[in-house]
Amino acid sequence: MEVGGRSAVRCEDLRRVFGAGEAAVAAVDGVSLGFPSGELTSIVGPSGSGKSTLMHVLAGLDRPTSGRAWVAGTEITGLDDGRLTELRRDKLGFVFQFFNLIPVLSAEENITLPLRIAGRDVDAEWLAALLETVGIADRSTHRPAELSGGQQQRVAVARALISKPAVVFADEPTGNLDSAASTQVLELLRRSVDLLGRSVILVTHDPRVASYADRMVMLVDGKVSSDTRVEGEDQVLRLMQTV
Amino acid sequence: MFSLAIRNFSARKLRALSTAAAVFFGVAMIAGTLMLTASVNNSFDDIFAEVNEGIDVTVRPKVAVEGEFGTSFARALPETLVEDVWAVEGVDLAVGAIGDDTITIVDEDGNRIGPPQGGPPHIAISRLPEDAPFQSFTIVDGAHPAADGEVAIDSITAESEGYEVGDTIRVTGAAGERDYTVAGIGEFGSGTPLGGASLVEFTLAEAQRLTGKRGRVDEIDATAAEGTTAAELATAISAALPADEVEVRTGEQTAEEDAGDIQEGFGFLSTALLVFAGIAVFVGAFLIFNTFSITVAQRMREFAMLRTLGASSRQVMAAVLIEAALVGLLASLLGIAGGFGFVELIKGLFKAMGFELPTSGLALEASTVAIAIAVGVLTTMVAALNPALRATRVAPLEALVESAGSTEREHERSRRRTIIASILVAAGVVLLPLGLFATDDIEMALQLLGLGLVLLFIGLAMVGDRFVGPIASVLGWPIERLRGVTGRLARENAQRQPGRTATTAAALMIGVALVVFVGVFASSIRASLSDTLDRQFVGDIAIVNTDGFSPIPTRIADEVSALDGVGVVSPTTLIPAEIAPSANEATVGGIEPRTLGRVASLDWTDGSDEIVANLAPDEAIFDENFAEQEGVGVGDELEITGPSGDVITVTIAGITTRSRFIVDQVALTRDTVLERLGARDDTTTFVNFAEGADPKATREQVDALLAERFPNAEARSQEEFKQDRENEINQLIALIYVLLGLSVLVSIFGVVNTLSLTIFERTRELGMLRAIGTSRRQVRRMIRYESVVVALLGAVVGAVIGLILAVAAVRALEDEGLELSISPSLPLVVLIAAILIGVVAAIGPARRASRLDVIQALQYE
Repeated sequence: MEVGGRSAVRCEDLRRVFGAGEAAVAAVDGVSLGFPSGELTSIVGPSGSGKSTLMHVLAGLDRPTSGRAWVAGTEITGLDDGRLTELRRDKLGFVFQFFNLIPVLSAEENITLPLRIAGRDVDAEWLAALLETVGIADRSTHRPAELSGGQQQRVAVARALISKPAVVFADEPTGNLDSAASTQVLELLRRSVDLLGRSVILVTHDPRVASYADRMVMLVDGKVSSDTRVEGEDQVLRLMQTV
Repeated sequence: MFSLAIRNFSARKLRALSTAAAVFFGVAMIAGTLMLTASVNNSFDDIFAEVNEGIDVTVRPKVAVEGEFGTSFARALPETLVEDVWAVEGVDLAVGAIGDDTITIVDEDGNRIGPPQGGPPHIAISRLPEDAPFQSFTIVDGAHPAADGEVAIDSITAESEGYEVGDTIRVTGAAGERDYTVAGIGEFGSGTPLGGASLVEFTLAEAQRLTGKRGRVDEIDATAAEGTTAAELATAISAALPADEVEVRTGEQTAEEDAGDIQEGFGFLSTALLVFAGIAVFVGAFLIFNTFSITVAQRMREFAMLRTLGASSRQVMAAVLIEAALVGLLASLLGIAGGFGFVELIKGLFKAMGFELPTSGLALEASTVAIAIAVGVLTTMVAALNPALRATRVAPLEALVESAGSTEREHERSRRRTIIASILVAAGVVLLPLGLFATDDIEMALQLLGLGLVLLFIGLAMVGDRFVGPIASVLGWPIERLRGVTGRLARENAQRQPGRTATTAAALMIGVALVVFVGVFASSIRASLSDTLDRQFVGDIAIVNTDGFSPIPTRIADEVSALDGVGVVSPTTLIPAEIAPSANEATVGGIEPRTLGRVASLDWTDGSDEIVANLAPDEAIFDENFAEQEGVGVGDELEITGPSGDVITVTIAGITTRSRFIVDQVALTRDTVLERLGARDDTTTFVNFAEGADPKATREQVDALLAERFPNAEARSQEEFKQDRENEINQLIALIYVLLGLSVLVSIFGVVNTLSLTIFERTRELGMLRAIGTSRRQVRRMIRYESVVVALLGAVVGAVIGLILAVAAVRALEDEGLELSISPSLPLVVLIAAILIGVVAAIGPARRASRLDVIQALQYE
């Protein structure tokens, strides 16, 4: 796979080692990847394969032991905490397994939170479009506790998209949802790629989730073991069973 | 369960420590006060045991009315009684002695040595015959005074003031001043400081002359001959002397009573200190309650899990209570150590005011340790009782299922709590006015007020959660306006757990309420004082003792009248007396009828200024409140007993109101008080300058005369007089503020504790905020604002309560001439202080929150 210049996110020979000496474990061991815009990529792998660590490093939440990574053309390896914070604020969106909404804020306030933290104005049209897209326009004043799990996660997706980020990272976004809600959330992510042209990187161990992606990167023991275009759920299942 | 509690306790050492801090201060104050009291009591026991060592019997003037001041107003004994004692069978030796605290040692500039205002007394003692077996003053350098021009002084004064043998020392007394040669330096007892008092030993004749007691002695000490016991001798002497003039006791009894008198005076201080310690403990209890409520809530899953493993609810409760007991024990042990620090703090404060507390052999008694531990452990356990009960209500199933909580039962409990809280608040609100208005018994009033406040504060803290929402919205509004989303989140976070915020703020509320109460009350006293002086003191200057309250020689009035430019001189005097038939004590003043009207102005309920001008020797003027208390009016006849037991009958001629500066409770003519009730000195001498005289030059003359002849007296203009009284009040207020400050400090710890626990709870949320681009600085700011909102909540509500209490208290004392005065800067000061407290409390928690590791925080469950 060529490391393209147009990639929203890319990395070269990334390594992340935990511990030291004999106990040292390389969670990510020499990974080079590119994630172009307008593509939904799933990173899959068994537990302990290093997929979450890779995502953390690519998102600037964790620092690599060696290697380099770029987000939207900016090299993030070597940035200080302040610059990384800014980068996260302006270029990245996050969707977590546990929704992580602020319980005291309404759905709409949760969605606009990143903009307010950054001190930017809210684009009312964009907000309205997002609320419509994620299907909670009629519940925008409700607080998280008054929403179902699926609704909460869709709010979280909208929150990730509000700042029009270059890339959205989703860490097991359906891990806490039933299958109907999962489908809604995955379709929402799919649409944000197809309609909005974002790059979405999705970490999961669920073949059904992975099958929504354009491309699937499989990690085993911190190394890329396969990198393929997704053709269907059966193919994904087959690939994952080889591990 | 016990081992689990210990595990929990030691697994969270830091939390245990910060929770313990809540009780630490209160326990330290209690332990310190008990140590201080014990050691001061021991010191005085030792001092007086040493003084009276070897004395079998003491004879002193009988005191009919003691009064509230330490000074004895009783007349000294005729020296002829010494001969009478000698004549009693079984007497081996009888010695007449002087012990008089009206003298003053002055420096070269004519100023009283030691602190300028008040300060410990200077005491004249007479040299005892060499063959007397009781020598409490032993010479360490030089010799006892051998001639009238010689003195010996105590080593502590000699050292602090730089006197050496051979130096000249100036002492003034009732007979004027005189320079003496320091013949020797000695130690009293075994050198214990007498609370900072200075001793001057004279020859007996000179001591009598200087103190105006020629031919009289203050005490006769006797020893028994072989074969006679002290008790037998006391009985024999008592039989031989006039019973209505003397008090005969054994030396041992005298030592006990003397020590007892001082200890009683000190007992007041220790009670006051214990009250403040109680406040700190009370505030601490709120914080313990809060901390345990939070940690229990956080560990519900753990308790549920214990229940699924078969633990009974009683065992769960025991686990929580044992942990509380351990925290209490830790706090108590640290508190006992901290008690030594508190002793130093109090000693330092007193030293700043010029008093040396004698604390030789600061002792940690077993009872102090026991009380401190009992208070610390019990307070913690009682405060943790409610959280422990809540822990028992967890259903085992909740360990497995994320529970929405049994809202119905919660609802029921919340309603019951509101009812209980309302009852507490109502009871508090009823008790407070009862304490303020319904009783004349100070102790009873204080107990009612204290109980009322405790109920009120607990009740308010319980219903506080209802008010947190709206009040925090108002207080948080400006922050939200200014700071946008971080302000908004901070305010929302403060409102999120209203019960928690209410308790945290309540702890601060108590401290602030008391500080504001004291502040407003004090400024009201100052304002009334100023108003009283403006209305009543119309003369040019008043001459008073430099300490502000002790008597001054009557001769000052005569000598000042002789000065050029002085118009009217009107001396007044005060003595403690007893009123019959009620047998109540009263402060009786003596005034000069002819001149008082020229220097002072009185308001009358019944009568007019004419009454003063024509006041006859058997007539009295009563203050309105006192007359009311005694149930008497104009024309009634009463008996007044003076300090030495003299009895006179007077008729009430008039009743004044709000004139207590001049007519304290009862006023007679000064001649009557001096000649028939045994007063020896004046209290305040008012002076009016002659018409046309240069006020500045006249004042200078008065000052010069006083400096030259009466160094312990000073002239004060109305302004200066006011200033002096204000300084006295301010000094007391400062002391109270320091003690209340410790309670406020405790409540700051409470804010820190709650914030820390809250941050711990919101770890994942904070991680998410950081992940989506919140900077560390924004996180810190958010925590800081939350802290400020909580602090403002406590301070503002506290200030309002303090203000209401102060207004009520001032109303209650309106009859005494008190009028409300609130400093216009008060709201600003409260706001700024609250913001500061909030910011300071947030420093640690905010730093910790901003340093959270984002990934760990996100994965944290």
